[in-house]
Amino acid sequence: MPELKILAVDDSPTMRRIIVNTLKRAGFNDVAEASDGKDALAKMKVDRYDFIITDWNMPEMDGLAFVTQMRNSDEFRELPVLMVTTRSVKEDIIEAMKAGVNNYIVKPFTPETLSEKIGQVLKSVGKG
Amino acid sequence: METRTLFTGSESTKNIQCDLRKLAESITQIVQGIKQAQEPLTESRKTVPQATEQLERVSRQTEDAAHRVLDMVEAITGREGTIDAQLKELRRALPATYFRNNSKVKRIIEQVRSCAESNQNDAYAIMDALQFQDITTQQIAHAIHMLEMVETRLHDVLMDLDGADRSEEREGSKRKLAFDPNASFSTDANRQNSIDELVDNMNRERGKK
Repeated sequence: MPELKILAVDDSPTMRRIIVNTLKRAGFNDVAEASDGKDALAKMKVDRYDFIITDWNMPEMDGLAFVTQMRNSDEFRELPVLMVTTRSVKEDIIEAMKAGVNNYIVKPFTPETLSEKIGQVLKSVGKG
Repeated sequence: METRTLFTGSESTKNIQCDLRKLAESITQIVQGIKQAQEPLTESRKTVPQATEQLERVSRQTEDAAHRVLDMVEAITGREGTIDAQLKELRRALPATYFRNNSKVKRIIEQVRSCAESNQNDAYAIMDALQFQDITTQQIAHAIHMLEMVETRLHDVLMDLDGADRSEEREGSKRKLAFDPNASFSTDANRQNSIDELVDNMNRERGKK
C-alpha cells in the first residue's frame, strides 16, 4: 500500500477512533479527522489529502452534500472517496454512487473490508 | 292585547335569561373540561424534555464507556510490540543450543508469542465491536426526534386550546440531530456482499461512459 494521507470524516468520536486505529493496523499511519463535511472541507483547504473516508449522517453538512460539493469543485473532483455508513437501503447506495463516491461500506464493518475497499478504490483510480 | 304582549314579552325575557344561564353553565363546564384536558397534555409535554435528556445521557455515557474501553485496547495492542521486542531480545541472549531439537525454551517462547498475538487479536475484536456505540447513538437520536415531534404536536394542540399566538418560540427541537432511522447492528456479511454487487455494477456502468 502506498503512503496515503487519509481524512476520516465522522460525527461520532468513537467511530473516528475505531477508523483511525483500524487504518493504523492496516499500515496507514497518516490519518487526520473531521467531524462533518463542513469541518472536512475547511481542513482540506489547509492540508492536502489523498483519500477521504466519510460517514453519511452528520450535522452541519452530511456526507452526501460533502461529496457533491467535492465533485463540483475543480480541486477535489478526482479525490478518492469511500463512504462508511449505517445506510444500507439500495436507493441510498445508488444516490451516494451518483453523488460521486468511489465505494461504499456498511457499518459495522470489518478491518478486512475496510482495507479491501481502500485497495479497490486506489486500483480503480490508478493509484493501487 | 297590549297587556298580553307585555306579559308574553316578560315571559320570553325570562326564558331567554334562563337559556343564557344554562348556556353560561355549559360554557363554564366546557372551559373546565378543556382545562382538565389541558393538564395531562401540559404534563405530557413537560415530560418530553426529561425523556430526551435521559436518552442523551445514555448516549453520552455509552460514548464515555466506549472511550475507556478504547483506551485499554490501545494500551493492550501497544504492549504487543514490547512483548515481541523482548522475545527477540531473549532469543538473541540465549545460546543457539537452547533452540536446537525443538527445545523447551523454544516452545515456551513460541507459546508466549502466540498468546500475545491472540490477546492482540481479541483486543482488536473488542474495538471492532465498539461500533455498536455509534449505531445505538443513531437509534437513540431517532427516538429523540420522534419524541420532539410528539412535543411539537402537543404544543400545537395546547396553543389551539388556549387560542394563543402559535408563532411564539417553541422549547426543544433546537439540536441538530443526524441519524439513520434504520441503523442496525447487523454483522450479516451478505448485507455488504449485496452492496458490493450493486457498487461494482454501478462502477462498471460509470467506466463505460
